[in-house]
Amino acid sequence: MHQWTFVIAAYAVTLLGTAAVSLISWRSMHRAEAQAETLANRP
Amino acid sequence: MKAKHQRLILALVALAALIGAGLLAASALKDEAAYFYAPGDVKAKGVEPGKAIRLGGMVVKGSLKRAADGVTMSFDVTDGKATVPATFSGIAPDLFKEGSGVVAEGSFDTKGTFIATNLLAKHDERYMPRELEGMSYNETTRELKVEK
Amino acid sequence: MPYWPCRARAAKDAALMHRFANPARFLKIARPLTGWLFWSGLVLLLAGCACGLFLTPADYLQGQTVRILYIHVPTAWLGMAGWTGIAVSALMQLVWRHPLAAVAGRAIAAPGALFTAICLATGSIWGRPTWGTWWEWDGRMTSMLVLLFLYLGYIALANASARQGAGQGGVSNVTAIFGLVGAINIPIINRSVVWWNSLHQGPSITLRGSSIDMALLWPLGLTLLGFSLWFGAIVLMRMRAILAQNKVEARMQRLARG
Repeated sequence: MHQWTFVIAAYAVTLLGTAAVSLISWRSMHRAEAQAETLANRP
Repeated sequence: MKAKHQRLILALVALAALIGAGLLAASALKDEAAYFYAPGDVKAKGVEPGKAIRLGGMVVKGSLKRAADGVTMSFDVTDGKATVPATFSGIAPDLFKEGSGVVAEGSFDTKGTFIATNLLAKHDERYMPRELEGMSYNETTRELKVEK
Repeated sequence: MPYWPCRARAAKDAALMHRFANPARFLKIARPLTGWLFWSGLVLLLAGCACGLFLTPADYLQGQTVRILYIHVPTAWLGMAGWTGIAVSALMQLVWRHPLAAVAGRAIAAPGALFTAICLATGSIWGRPTWGTWWEWDGRMTSMLVLLFLYLGYIALANASARQGAGQGGVSNVTAIFGLVGAINIPIINRSVVWWNSLHQGPSITLRGSSIDMALLWPLGLTLLGFSLWFGAIVLMRMRAILAQNKVEARMQRLARG
């Protein structure tokens, strides 16, 4: 069981890092593209 | 010659020079960057007693003896070229066992025995299920053979 | 020497180059590709992790801790592949003045740095139960730590050059040269366990084959592919963000001028 603690810790670090970068990258892309869209549609 | 080609040649020459310099530096560092001394290095170059070093190699099968106090142990470390006796008292990592790799931190005493203050286990690049244990592994052909 | 035809030819060359470098053309491919790469990568990497956690047997020597392999190896590979990508885009930027290459270099840096950091963290967590130490200054670990510092330096340089408006949202030439010079560390990381005595074991997977038994090896293929696809999706997202920001900035400047 003691070994599983290390395994779970390693997987948790990886999944947290992956999720955080996914979220940040998607949000910055979404925001920038939405802003570009509204500006382009302005006369 | 067009500017683009000039830039390409310049970049490639710079890259080649850089890789050459890097490889040269790395090979010059060969001894300094080594993480531990193998018993063969100790025999060839000599290490003065009392100097803090790391000694790495395989624990010789059948050489591991535990003293009555339960924490002191003695074993031989080999790299195939030379064998060095070592002692350690303390808690060894789980993977420390005969026939497996070890990196010991400590120093030699005047009689040529390595007095380790800390043990690290070094494992090799093989990974396999428990059921396969007891099979032998050929380093050069990378083939597994059943010992039975 | 006639001046005019020479310039015309250069313009034609540039037009040909820019047809492939055209952001509009790039976005047409990148937009649908982002989602596909992201979701297929995520499914594969989660499936690989699940298989590696629950379906494979324990290692004969290490027991359960061997399961860290399925995330440690892909993160190491992508940390190194990321810098290789930065070096290639730096070369394309410096030699061919490819406008998307500068954007790509900047987009790769963040996920590359993340994976290098995760590789170091999972390696440390793996080292404690197997070797008996969280960290040792051996060749492999030191050169991987150097890679993380290179990434951080590159990100700092790239952000500074983007603020100064160099290269239209991409990186400055100085940053690109830094990316090219830093590539020397990649073969050093790869060879560190061969050249020097190290605590880290030698390479398991080489051209001659694998010393990881098939029963333990197969989920690694899933996580390697999954993390790689996911990495590609993140790079596309960040490139799209940079290109959209460029568009906004250009528009703002035009509006400000009236």
